[in-house]
Amino acid sequence: MAGAFGPPPFPFCRKLPLMTVLLLLSVILVIAGAGFFLGRGRALSRVSGNVRALHSLPGYYGWHAAIMTAMPALGILLVWLIAQPIVLERQVLPYLPADIVADSTERTLAMADVRRVAAGLDMAVSTGAMTEDEAGMIRTELTDVRSRLASVGVALGSDVKRETLQAAQAYRKSFGAAVLWRGIVVLAVALAGLALALRLTEPDFRARNRGEAVMLGVLITASSIAILTTVGIIWSMLSESLNFFSQYPASEFFFGLTWSPNFRGGSDLGFIPLLWGTMYISLVAMIVAVPLGLFTAIYLAEYASPRARAWIKPVIEIIAGIPTVVFGLFALVTVGPFLRDWFAEPFGFGNSGSSVMTAGLVIGILNIPFISSLADDIINSVPQSLRDGSYGLGATKSETVRQVILPAALPGIVGAVLLAASRAIGETMIVTMGAGAAAKLSLNPFDAMTTMTVKIVGQLTGDTDFNSPETLVAFALGITLFVITLGLNVFALWIVRKYREQYE
Amino acid sequence: MEDQKTMKDIHLEERVVSDHAPRITARGVNVHYGENHALKDVDVDILSGTVTAFIGPSGCGKSTFLRCLNRMNDTVANARVTGQILLDGEDIYDKRVDPVQLRAKVGMVFQKPNPFPKSIYDNVAYGPKIHGLTRNKAELDGIVESCLRKAALWNEVKDRLTAPGTGLSGGQQQRLCIARAIATSPEVLLMDEPCSALDPIATAQVEELIDELRASFSVVIVTHSMQQAARVSQKTAFFHLGHLVEYGETGQIFTNPRDPRTESYITGRIG
Amino acid sequence: MTDISTSGAAAPRPAKSILSGGREMARRNAAETRFKLYGMLAISVSLGVLAVMLWTIFSDGISAFKQAKLTFPVTLSSEVLDPAGNGLREEMTKVTTIGYGRLLSAAFKAELAAKGISTEGVSDKELADLISKDAPGVLRSEVLANPALLDTTELRSVLASGRIDGYLKGRVTRQTAERDGQISPAMLDLADRLMDAGILGTGFNSRFLTSPDASDQRPEAAGLGVAILGSAYMMLLVLVICVPLGVAASIYLEEFAPKNRWTDLVEVNISNLAAVPSIVFGILGLAVFINFAKFPQSSPLVGALVLSLMTLPTIIIATRASIRAVPPSIRDAALGVGASKMQTVFHHVLPLAAPGILTGTILGLASALGETAPLLLIGMVAFVDNYPAPPVEGFFDPATALPVQVYSWASRSDPAFIERSSGAIIVLLVFLVIMNVTAIILRRKFERRW
Repeated sequence: MAGAFGPPPFPFCRKLPLMTVLLLLSVILVIAGAGFFLGRGRALSRVSGNVRALHSLPGYYGWHAAIMTAMPALGILLVWLIAQPIVLERQVLPYLPADIVADSTERTLAMADVRRVAAGLDMAVSTGAMTEDEAGMIRTELTDVRSRLASVGVALGSDVKRETLQAAQAYRKSFGAAVLWRGIVVLAVALAGLALALRLTEPDFRARNRGEAVMLGVLITASSIAILTTVGIIWSMLSESLNFFSQYPASEFFFGLTWSPNFRGGSDLGFIPLLWGTMYISLVAMIVAVPLGLFTAIYLAEYASPRARAWIKPVIEIIAGIPTVVFGLFALVTVGPFLRDWFAEPFGFGNSGSSVMTAGLVIGILNIPFISSLADDIINSVPQSLRDGSYGLGATKSETVRQVILPAALPGIVGAVLLAASRAIGETMIVTMGAGAAAKLSLNPFDAMTTMTVKIVGQLTGDTDFNSPETLVAFALGITLFVITLGLNVFALWIVRKYREQYE
Repeated sequence: MEDQKTMKDIHLEERVVSDHAPRITARGVNVHYGENHALKDVDVDILSGTVTAFIGPSGCGKSTFLRCLNRMNDTVANARVTGQILLDGEDIYDKRVDPVQLRAKVGMVFQKPNPFPKSIYDNVAYGPKIHGLTRNKAELDGIVESCLRKAALWNEVKDRLTAPGTGLSGGQQQRLCIARAIATSPEVLLMDEPCSALDPIATAQVEELIDELRASFSVVIVTHSMQQAARVSQKTAFFHLGHLVEYGETGQIFTNPRDPRTESYITGRIG
Repeated sequence: MTDISTSGAAAPRPAKSILSGGREMARRNAAETRFKLYGMLAISVSLGVLAVMLWTIFSDGISAFKQAKLTFPVTLSSEVLDPAGNGLREEMTKVTTIGYGRLLSAAFKAELAAKGISTEGVSDKELADLISKDAPGVLRSEVLANPALLDTTELRSVLASGRIDGYLKGRVTRQTAERDGQISPAMLDLADRLMDAGILGTGFNSRFLTSPDASDQRPEAAGLGVAILGSAYMMLLVLVICVPLGVAASIYLEEFAPKNRWTDLVEVNISNLAAVPSIVFGILGLAVFINFAKFPQSSPLVGALVLSLMTLPTIIIATRASIRAVPPSIRDAALGVGASKMQTVFHHVLPLAAPGILTGTILGLASALGETAPLLLIGMVAFVDNYPAPPVEGFFDPATALPVQVYSWASRSDPAFIERSSGAIIVLLVFLVIMNVTAIILRRKFERRW
């Protein structure tokens, strides 16, 4: 894994435009700040300082002016930032050969080259190695552009083609113009907004209501982030997965029994061994976590004295607060070798430290506090009258728990167990460090096996072509994982909610 | 409370001698909930074949005392009970006594009907099962049927014994709870305001049932309704502020109370 | 009510004394004891494993804060280090670390000769190998920063090699040394003599907290500097992104949202996002922020965006709970004196809910601080040996993060990195403990019962 990523190829080429955007942003904010004072001052002067004659407090007129200045300008800036690369690409494309433009992958690569050369020229100009004119004039026929740029510290992978250089020069020119126009337009909009706001500032203008309407809009937008995130997750994984399935047949992915990616092509990307590993490890984890978590919860809820409960409960919950990578290291360094030396090797189950057992045990431990605190809540929400009824008949505590409380709490507990299972399936670090990387269909719990999450990490953190099926398969794995866990979660939350309603 | 001199807590020698034998004998019972002294020096005899009513204003200690009789107070963390309570001559607070076993002999029905979320059959069978009272299914079926009959519920539920107990109406649920309580064949049946959550018709059914239960069990009922106490009980105990103020024949308590506090409560001046 | 006459006694009445339990009771009580025992056993297992885990990590990791150092006089001869002899930086940079390495090993050898320490069985190359490969680089940058050091002789402490460090910490023994290409038993004998002579010793390893990561061959020089900085940048950004968004969303959902399908959709979304595996957020980050929006890979900005989306549901849930805990009477009072709904929320409800929001935020940040998997996908597992620039520019520089550093060290082959990895966990846990304790104190201090 080490060194899988070099430093990003061209940090500077993204910083320069960034700085101009930041500058523009701060200018807008300054104007908006000025707008606040102008608006407030104008409101006050319209009523010659008599605040009672105003509809709203003077500050609201200030806010109104500031919002009117900043909001449209920021909106335009945002739209511009999104549209600019698309427009620029249009302008540059005529310089590139038609056959490249026709193919979307080739076009993406060629555009990346153009941007890289353009950034190199920018760099050369900003360090003073070239004049602005020179950067616009140089020709591949006359200059070795690659070595010229290398001398100012810009490394290019291959020689610069003539059309790429021309495109890059055009790109730079359009880019410069775009940045200039962007500044002018955005500032003009800001000032126009400010002027309009000041004109509207009259004593009976309802500045507070306007401001509050905007505020409400902001609140609504913020609350929609959750939806946007879900849409983003689904969209990003779905589009890349479709891309994957166009290169690799879906039936072979979902029903293939071998997983052997080969970055030179001809891979077998069967999903079944990964699913088997995932399910096997989760099963071991649940076998560990469910009894331990349930008994912990039962003890805390029914037996422990309030004082013992006040101590034990937070200590158990410490487990839940420890980062999973810590558990991963524990699996790698302690649990794995322990299981290998004391169980796997003496009983002839193999000699692997990473195994289903290692990862399953450790995930199980991680899930104990999760199950126990959910089950604790659920057991506590079983009405006391049921306990009284049972004790009143002469039942012992354990009889009450087993025959009255647990059956009554069963739906909730099933929900908690499903949520825990979904966590076990989605757990990444512990399996990455403790389960191994071999995709196997084996029954031996001391064999190293692998899971969907391990392979997502593996396939996406290599130096690989982003458009190969070997990389894209990670997105197909991702969306499968998402669907499985989402299904479990929705079902579990539904059960838990149904259960809560029962006692409300 | 004008006449302080006649105010005197009940003492045993003043009681009317009954032909029924005492089942439970309580002497000098005190209950503390943490700092709060909830029950002060209470002496009572619960007779067999009798319905005894505990009446008194809210917070007077009547429910607390009831919960002492089958040690339900053990489940309250900071409750402390002192004094002596004998069941058939055996101290129920003796160290050797298992409260679990005691509760099988002194059953309890609660204020709110609390059927388990199980079938009607399983609700009634629960007690016999945990106490190992039956040897086979047929015997258990017999107990369930006879208890449901005693609780006057059999005719209403005999066709749906596997339906959940929580699906019954309030009055049916409470009768189910009574059936459940008598299924362990207790000697004493404690009822903590069994009708307070029920409508008048269901109340009448349960009251009628209580009267019938008297033949097999001694019944202790806590109630906030004086009319109910007058209707169902033969003996009445009046509690006030943690004291047992007066204990005697129900008719005497309601028609000729000896203590001014009892009189005030009955005539509606306190409570 | 004729039912009662139709059946006889309910059951054979057990006329048992309540004082003697009988066999049935003994069985039931044994079952009761067993059941209670299972509970205690479950708790002991959880607590036991927790204790074992923390103990192993602390015992493995605490030694990362100590480091073997060699102390001997070094003369920074200008003949070697400044061959042009003019003290100009441009000229001096032409001397590479190899030159400095030779200088150091020569000085080391001279010191051994001067102190009369036998180097029997140890070749000159092996002698030089006792010194960390990192030491020349450190010396070089020190000299380049301050050319006045030239031609002075000073007692210098330089890092010993990772194997010597391991020997002092008990990780390397003579048995392992025989099978190891990088160290020999004779070198360990020499190390013993060096310790006796006071040249070799251990000291507090402040560089573990400040240095950047080092390559596979130099575990002794690897530090957490970049990781701590990267994590700090990300936490700062997560705070800046999450708190306004989380609070705004919570206010809307608690105070303004009408009961309709959109609101329901948002609610269901939030509770589901809280349970989505973290790695899915990593995929989202890779696809949206890096491949689509072209943000720089490995940068704290992308890391923070991903962690923010992940933490947001947690913060929203906590914030909503504390907004809900403000009693409606407060709102009624404010509305009653003619405040607008918005004023009521911002002037009264929000200040009263602030402590709860703060606590929830700290706990959300703590869980974000320990998150690893999504950061792997956005390239934060890269080897970064340059500090990111100060903010704002630094948010776009490649960096790594504490938990990721734990992972990347754990996956290296040299066992010396396991010590580093455990040491990094200790640092991570210290930060987490500080955050959690702060949250607990805040909650205790501002807890209000209405």
